[in-house]
Amino acid sequence: MLNRRALIAAAAFGAVVFAMPAVFAQDKSIVVASTTSTQDSGLFEYLLPLYKQKTGVTVKVVSQGTGQALDTGRRGDADVVFVHAKSAEEKFLAEGEGVKRFPVMYNDFVLIGPKSDPAGIKGMKDVGQALKAIMAKQAAFISRGDRSGTHVAELALWKASGIDIEKDKGAWYKSIGQGMGAALNTAGAGNGYVLSDRGTWIHFKNKGDLQILVEGDKRMFNQYGVMLVNPAKHPNVKKELGQQFIDYLISPEGQKDIANYKINGEQLFYPNANDAGA
Amino acid sequence: MRAPGSELPVVFTEVAIVAADVTILDGISLVLLGGSAPTVLIGPNGAGKTTLLRAAMGLIPVTRGRISWGGREAASPQRLAFVFQRPVMLRRSTGDNLHYALAAAGVPRDQRASRAAELLALVGLEKLAQRPARRLSGGEQQRLALARALARDPEVLFLDEPTASLDPAATKAIEDIVRAVSARGVKVVMATHDLGEAKRLAGEIVLLHRGRLIESGPASEFFENSRTQEARKFIAGELLV
Repeated sequence: MLNRRALIAAAAFGAVVFAMPAVFAQDKSIVVASTTSTQDSGLFEYLLPLYKQKTGVTVKVVSQGTGQALDTGRRGDADVVFVHAKSAEEKFLAEGEGVKRFPVMYNDFVLIGPKSDPAGIKGMKDVGQALKAIMAKQAAFISRGDRSGTHVAELALWKASGIDIEKDKGAWYKSIGQGMGAALNTAGAGNGYVLSDRGTWIHFKNKGDLQILVEGDKRMFNQYGVMLVNPAKHPNVKKELGQQFIDYLISPEGQKDIANYKINGEQLFYPNANDAGA
Repeated sequence: MRAPGSELPVVFTEVAIVAADVTILDGISLVLLGGSAPTVLIGPNGAGKTTLLRAAMGLIPVTRGRISWGGREAASPQRLAFVFQRPVMLRRSTGDNLHYALAAAGVPRDQRASRAAELLALVGLEKLAQRPARRLSGGEQQRLALARALARDPEVLFLDEPTASLDPAATKAIEDIVRAVSARGVKVVMATHDLGEAKRLAGEIVLLHRGRLIESGPASEFFENSRTQEARKFIAGELLV
């Protein structure tokens, strides 16, 4: 016959056993450092609940500019980084901060500006010529100036246009150090031009007088990559759960989920995990 | 910052030029900024290079679109100069050809001799000042044409295939002058079908084909990492039809 002590011990053991899944369930989460433009596009609001439903894993996103997101990875404050500046991502890998880079998807940048279009760039096929026209007119241009992937892309486009923007900028070039939404609002308020990723633009609710003026130049192509933060450098990284999320993003199922994200019937991101060169 | 009254930038906005139902230029949007390295137009024969240069000089009207010079709708010919592929030599000496150009440019009489000497030295013709211009070689005539164009102290110098049919030594002499002129702050915009010359001289490349602007950008980017199939074919020496 069981005595009182044995019964209490059994009850305690059972409580521990039954509590354990709850403890592990609380631990099924990862931190992904990603970008404000990815956040602002609405992709995570759509994708992460789907992922949680399939796996039970909660993905918490810290959204910043690409440079800052990668720095978050360098500090070991994220398990995964998911950004869109390949050169910065490759540097991250070369430093030993990431395990491996996987291409995931792309969207494109569009050059937004006011309907009045003082620089006369509407419909130009060559974004380099369009930027030259903006500079020639000294029309207001809003730069994110925050080391984001969009900022990096903007600087690359100035360079591709043959302009040394650090040397040639004047009062017309306004660097605001903020995210995409803020940059679009500033452009709208000041009749200015701004480079935006298409996803954020479609999702942006305060378009006012702004419209897409230049699009389609291959140099405006915007590639996203994902990496596991290196657990050898940062032992706190949840490497299994982190890699599980990466594996989902690049799997046929994840790629289909990404392609299915639409706003007003328009697809925002084009999956290309099978493009090894991307 | 632009200097007051500057002809730069020269901005083509959706320019089309149609003549006798033939579209010579089609939807050209192009910005010519100041800068020390030349903008070089390349493309096969009939691509529209000469027409684009002439339009940029203000010599021919556009059918659609617009061109502006320093933000203005009309060019000031005084600040622009053009050297044609086959320059016409006056029936005078080399020096007198240049004096004529200096007079036409409004240079005061008492300054013409020194200015002529300076320009003849720049183009390497100082020892040929007395020779009849029509007895100069092809390369020497091109150099004289350059000196005459520079007589008006232009802000922008347009050169239409300046080394076409010249031998290598004459070509080098012309290219050296182009570099010297660019270094002095004159914006040079030139057309050539010689890819080697484009590589040697260009800061910016503009590829034209069938009247359309196919690709443009810094020369290094164009030759190392061109974006379009037409550019890659042209660089590889294939015919663009």
